[in-house]
Amino acid sequence: MTHLDNDVLAEFRAGLLTGRRGTRIAAHLAGCERCTALDEQLAGISVLLASVPAPALPDRVARRLDTALAAEVARRDNPERARGDGAGESAAPARPAGHRGFPPWTWRVLIPAGAAVVLAAGGFGLSQIGHSTTSQSATSSAGGAQATSAARPSASRVNGPATAPIQGAAPRPLRMTPANFVVTTSSTEFARATFRQQVESDLRAAAASPETHAPLAPLRACVRKIAGDDTLQLVETARFEGGPATLIVARTGSDDTAWLAGPDCSATNRDVLATTSVPAGIS
Amino acid sequence: MPDDGGDWPSDHELLRRHVAGDAEAFGELFRRHRDRLWAVALRTVCDPEEAADALQDAMVSAFRRAADFRGESAVTTWLHRIVVNASLDRLRRRAARPALSAGDEQSFEALVAQDGDPARAADTRLDVNAALRLLPPQQRAALVVVDMLGFSVADAAAILDTSPGTVKSRCARARARLLPYVAHLQGNRSASESVSPAQGGDS
Repeated sequence: MTHLDNDVLAEFRAGLLTGRRGTRIAAHLAGCERCTALDEQLAGISVLLASVPAPALPDRVARRLDTALAAEVARRDNPERARGDGAGESAAPARPAGHRGFPPWTWRVLIPAGAAVVLAAGGFGLSQIGHSTTSQSATSSAGGAQATSAARPSASRVNGPATAPIQGAAPRPLRMTPANFVVTTSSTEFARATFRQQVESDLRAAAASPETHAPLAPLRACVRKIAGDDTLQLVETARFEGGPATLIVARTGSDDTAWLAGPDCSATNRDVLATTSVPAGIS
Repeated sequence: MPDDGGDWPSDHELLRRHVAGDAEAFGELFRRHRDRLWAVALRTVCDPEEAADALQDAMVSAFRRAADFRGESAVTTWLHRIVVNASLDRLRRRAARPALSAGDEQSFEALVAQDGDPARAADTRLDVNAALRLLPPQQRAALVVVDMLGFSVADAAAILDTSPGTVKSRCARARARLLPYVAHLQGNRSASESVSPAQGGDS
């Protein structure tokens, strides 16, 4: 028998050549150094491939996936917003009836009365102004200047120092980027079920020019990690499920994406607690 | 909410919740597996930007078609299949850039020459990426799923939506195609090049 060609060697090794042909091949290998060496190299290919380390998911791809996912969730919640994507939606049933009636969140307290009218005029949850407490948000209430950092634990993390009143007011740049942005303080108690609606209302409130201050380095790193180079619409300190959180809203294409970052958000850890997509143009 | 290592809620439970309307469940499920799914996309498509496109397409497709999953396989198998399909779709659309043929000695040599010293680990990885590009898409996908990601032939058959025999056959042909390239990487120990003694009596 002449030497075995590479395909035959490979098929034999994969168990595809059996019976008498397989027996002949095995016999040839037993007596042929050349083909045996090639066979061993063939085995080595599988070993080599298995040893290649898995590629890390790049941050920008992770961000992109977050954004796309948030858009899908928003699209599922609001079928009338589906932009002619046409194809049959996943068979998710309509949300339970009680879900969207009266979301249990509180309004920001920093907003002067005039701006509260702006919020109400946005037409969203008009009847909620003045409703201040629910089981989820008992610590905040409308009215009163409770929004400063006094009630918050200070920490060396993102949300602690960023809420300290020491930074002084900083004007909002015309265009905010992770390299150049200011932070708004709020006492918004975000809730997962109402996250998107709350983001939209906070964006509208931001248009009323509340007080803003410069971010500290940990927050800068966090925002850069999450939003990359995207134009920022809003960076706001807030609360989520009983702990500090930072809302980051960035323009990520035709829509905006909002992330709620937890206290462990840093240059190396995204610590995203929630994310959603909002239509552009609110703020 | 931190990942819980995958035990509870199970993948299947998360998918069920997603179909039932839970806004968070799919994100949680996808986050668990997306690193591995990225590896599938990148190794199959070979280009990071297109791999990102493929992975996003796959994610959206899985999100929308979740109700079609019947539990006939593991959820991860189903996710991997969607990613492989999206990756192969991307490759088909990228028909303007055909895969290099391993039979083309000139381009093969050019690939090897530009990758530097093959003995260094980093270059070996680069070499593997270049080598994978030599393969036709379906052979590449099979080899990535079996040899690189470590799926069994049976699981790979479910992922690639074909028979175990076809999986083995595609892998075998892919390895055969890579053999001359890898032989060169390993310093040309092919017996056709030298008359050095055999490796002991283990043949």
